[in-house]
Amino acid sequence: MNQMSLIRILIILFFTNILESYISPILILFYINIPLTFLVFSYISYTSKTNPSPFFSFSMGLFVDLISGVFFGLNAILFCLMTYFINNYSNAFKLFSYFQIAIFFGVSSFFYIGFSNLFVNISNFSYQNLIFSFFVNTFLCYLVTLRRLLLPSLFKSNTL
Amino acid sequence: MARVTPTSGSKALYILCIIVASFLLYLDINYKTFDVIKNQYNSLLISSSFALKKISIDPISYIYNLLQKNSDLINENKELKKKLDESYLSNFIISRDTKFFSDGEHIKSFMEKNRIKKIFHSSVVRYFDTEKYFCCDQHQFFIEILNKSDGNFIGSPVINSQGILGQIINDDKYHEVLLLTDTSHSLPIEADGFFCNAKGSGKPGIISCTYSSLIWPEPIKKGQEFFTSGLGGIYPRGVLIGYVSEIKILDKTNFEFDISLVSNPMKENTLGVLERL
Repeated sequence: MNQMSLIRILIILFFTNILESYISPILILFYINIPLTFLVFSYISYTSKTNPSPFFSFSMGLFVDLISGVFFGLNAILFCLMTYFINNYSNAFKLFSYFQIAIFFGVSSFFYIGFSNLFVNISNFSYQNLIFSFFVNTFLCYLVTLRRLLLPSLFKSNTL
Repeated sequence: MARVTPTSGSKALYILCIIVASFLLYLDINYKTFDVIKNQYNSLLISSSFALKKISIDPISYIYNLLQKNSDLINENKELKKKLDESYLSNFIISRDTKFFSDGEHIKSFMEKNRIKKIFHSSVVRYFDTEKYFCCDQHQFFIEILNKSDGNFIGSPVINSQGILGQIINDDKYHEVLLLTDTSHSLPIEADGFFCNAKGSGKPGIISCTYSSLIWPEPIKKGQEFFTSGLGGIYPRGVLIGYVSEIKILDKTNFEFDISLVSNPMKENTLGVLERL
């Protein structure tokens, strides 16, 4: 990770997890689940100029497991899978439109929420929650992809 | 620079990591193997947040509370000062009660009872040397007339709710009142056609009168009532002065009797000053 130091990523993930812990109880009232930590990690992996190693994803996953208090290995698996897909399709993404990329991340978050709920929250597993979250996350990712158009003075980077 | 697609070697690493993660997940779900680590992390998190709170928020909170406390104390001090001022004012009013509370009703009732149709002015005793009153034959005190109009009050009778006390003899800032019992005072009195000039005895509450049986053959009895005769032109007529308390025989024809006054100058602080006749 040349662009961003490991410490910096850990700090970002730590505070994102805190933010997620505050907003999740509010959003769940509207059947919405936004896995902010997962999306931020995915964004970091996606914008990285080099392929993140599987050990990096694995260790970041364990770190998130630790700070979020879920079963050890849950985020490690999902982070590894996400990094694998991003690495695998990193060149193909260049051919995708912003909307397609947003859908990719929306589907990823859909899968993440479903998989997490299977282990953590099986008794309250809700398809309604999954569907709503899919649309909201896709829209959110789409907004992120359009950030340079929406706020050009703030985001001048050419990367997505 | 384009990113390299994962090779089969790196794919194997991913698979390895996922297998290890799955194994960890299995251990954690079934055996809670990592609970110790999680608990230690939570403990560290709580301790550090507590420590951070103690070194960051608590001092600010302490300063804020201190300021708030100071502010409360200042407000309380102001409130107490205000109450103290009110108390001072209240005490001042009580100490100078006649200014505010003397309504003169008791004087009015006395005047109505004795059918005195004169204007009176409320007054208050300012100085009364009671020691001198009890020991010596000079009986005076000083009064202040409230709401006084311009005019000379010398010779004006001074009364309280019991009766006549004396007359004003000096008109200064405070008015000097000569009491009936002063030895220099003389009061014309009457009872059943008997007239006499009663002089102050110098004793508290006693005036005395002398008469000759050759002039007034009717005997004087103890307990007999005496009234003002109005002959001196100072006091109104027909006001009860007192009762005969003691009769002394001076010689065969001359007698002296004491009259106990019905009015006590120490009874009330609020008095009335009648306008001169």
